[in-house]
Amino acid sequence: MARNATFADTGRLPARNAAWRRWFISGRWAKTLTFLLLAAFSFAMFYPFFWLLFSSFKTGADIVRLPVSLLPEKWTLSAYRMVMDPTRANLPIAYVNSIIVTSGTVLSVLITSSMGGFIFARLEFPGRDYLFYFVLSTTMVPFLTLLIPLYIVMRELNLLNSLWGVWVPSIFSSFGVFLCRQFVYGIPRELYDAAKIDGSGDFGIYRNIILPLTKPILSALAIFVFLGAFNAYLWPLVILNDEEKLTLPLIIARMANRFGGTDYQAVMAGSVLVSIPPLIVFLIFQKNFVRGIALTGLKG
Amino acid sequence: MNDSQERSAVGGQALPRLSRAEAHSTLQLSARGRHGLWRRFRRASPFALIYSAAILIFYTIIFIIPFGTGIWLAFQNWDFITTPKFVGLRNFAKAFTDQYFWLALQKTVLFSVVEIAVGLTLALLFALALSQIFGKWQNIYLSLYYLPVITPLVVSIYLWRWLYRPTGGAINTLLSSVGLPEQPFLASSQQALWAITLVIIWAHLGTGIVLFLAGINDVPESLFEAARLDGAGFWQSFVRITLPLIRPVLVYQMVVSVIGTVQMFEAFFLMPGPGFSTRTLALYTYELGFRALNLGYGAAVSLIIFMLLLGATVFQLRRWRIEWEH
Repeated sequence: MARNATFADTGRLPARNAAWRRWFISGRWAKTLTFLLLAAFSFAMFYPFFWLLFSSFKTGADIVRLPVSLLPEKWTLSAYRMVMDPTRANLPIAYVNSIIVTSGTVLSVLITSSMGGFIFARLEFPGRDYLFYFVLSTTMVPFLTLLIPLYIVMRELNLLNSLWGVWVPSIFSSFGVFLCRQFVYGIPRELYDAAKIDGSGDFGIYRNIILPLTKPILSALAIFVFLGAFNAYLWPLVILNDEEKLTLPLIIARMANRFGGTDYQAVMAGSVLVSIPPLIVFLIFQKNFVRGIALTGLKG
Repeated sequence: MNDSQERSAVGGQALPRLSRAEAHSTLQLSARGRHGLWRRFRRASPFALIYSAAILIFYTIIFIIPFGTGIWLAFQNWDFITTPKFVGLRNFAKAFTDQYFWLALQKTVLFSVVEIAVGLTLALLFALALSQIFGKWQNIYLSLYYLPVITPLVVSIYLWRWLYRPTGGAINTLLSSVGLPEQPFLASSQQALWAITLVIIWAHLGTGIVLFLAGINDVPESLFEAARLDGAGFWQSFVRITLPLIRPVLVYQMVVSVIGTVQMFEAFFLMPGPGFSTRTLALYTYELGFRALNLGYGAAVSLIIFMLLLGATVFQLRRWRIEWEH
């Protein structure tokens, strides 16, 4: 009674008590719990990357030491030196190859998709819708089904063992054309008509009106095309053969064969270097990313 | 779409109604139709026509010819060197008696079903939890979950191979530190498939979370408000409101995931379990085509994959649309 009175006098604990009770009753504790659980899970999701990163700074003796430890005993860049050494691994050349193929693919897909989106949505010519549905229907056939015969076609075209052969099948993207067509439908028709009356040609309208307006969807598309082209494994594996023509994912597998037995830290260092470009693209375009997934996923 | 409908409606009016008196001119009509087609070609912009020609040539080379070749090849026996020999349906018949084909099919279905069931459930749970958190933290968590998606799969595979090592691997160290027995993982034919499945679930989880979260965020807040006023709990409003409204996302995810998982190649190629324990149809096709050089049989198997996937997609879409209407 007396204690209550003192607390009532100061008015502090009951107030705080009430705050705690409100916090509990309102169900906000559930939010806090969710928050903590998510934090724990995101740590678990991220945990493998700690091993990737820290192992790449170990020495060959350190990485096979038992019991294993996450942190290196002595931090060293020797693994990085190992994979950047052109006499031991072709990582620098593979970097160039990957950048060539990836940027070529992204550029061509962006151009062909935005053009296709505009043409299939706004221009008139006989057979337009048949052509569009044909392009769309090609996605029904899985790439795996085309793998062997497409290889034979590439052989006939003399594109084996060249970066052209990796690039050619992805000049157009039916998904990209579909996506851009949906987007162009959302652009008011009056814009097109007005430009037409002003005497613009169709290519001029595409260049000056449609292209700037489709930027949001193009930036989303660019990210996915980039990731797809950069991380591609099966098709480059089938097409490329010479070591100086391999792309980054292929070179990782080669490095694993070469260093995997004794110098796994080199595989880790190579992996870190290979993961950097997608990470940079992700960090730069993060905003577009989430919106892009929502756009592309929900409309698909 | 709208434009072409308008156009055909106008065209329909412009056509003379075929009264008996005018019925003499079916020939003339078809001639006029052809003339119209030609005129429409000439009126079409060169930009559109050039593009159409380009895309048509592209898909002829990259799609029509290979697909045709694939079908042709499935009826041949060919090893790249000798001349192809026609064998009729024997390649398909072979698949049905080939125990390795059935084994590969079994592994593919097991992997696909478990990956999708577990992966999508987890993604939905994460998305639900994330939807309770607003603002900056939602984005931060989202980015963390999305990192494995960004990472090249080959990198993830070699990373996990390292973590999975039977002796001295990080996971076994973790297990023994909490008193659990160490596991062989990829070295065991019982565990290898599930070890790989776990990696792929981990690698793809982010996509599902982002898609589901976008779906959940699209549900109008007023619906939840109304449900809360009516006394519905969290679970009830999830089953009655969220789930039905994000069903399109769910169906899309399932269809895409089936197509993706059946074609998964790298994981089984670079992180194989012992023997045939992780040889899926994708790997089998590759080995038939590029290792055994049994191109005809490889093409037949890949056509069977195509038909299976087509069947699965149509089945899913129909099944879910029926429930949707219901």
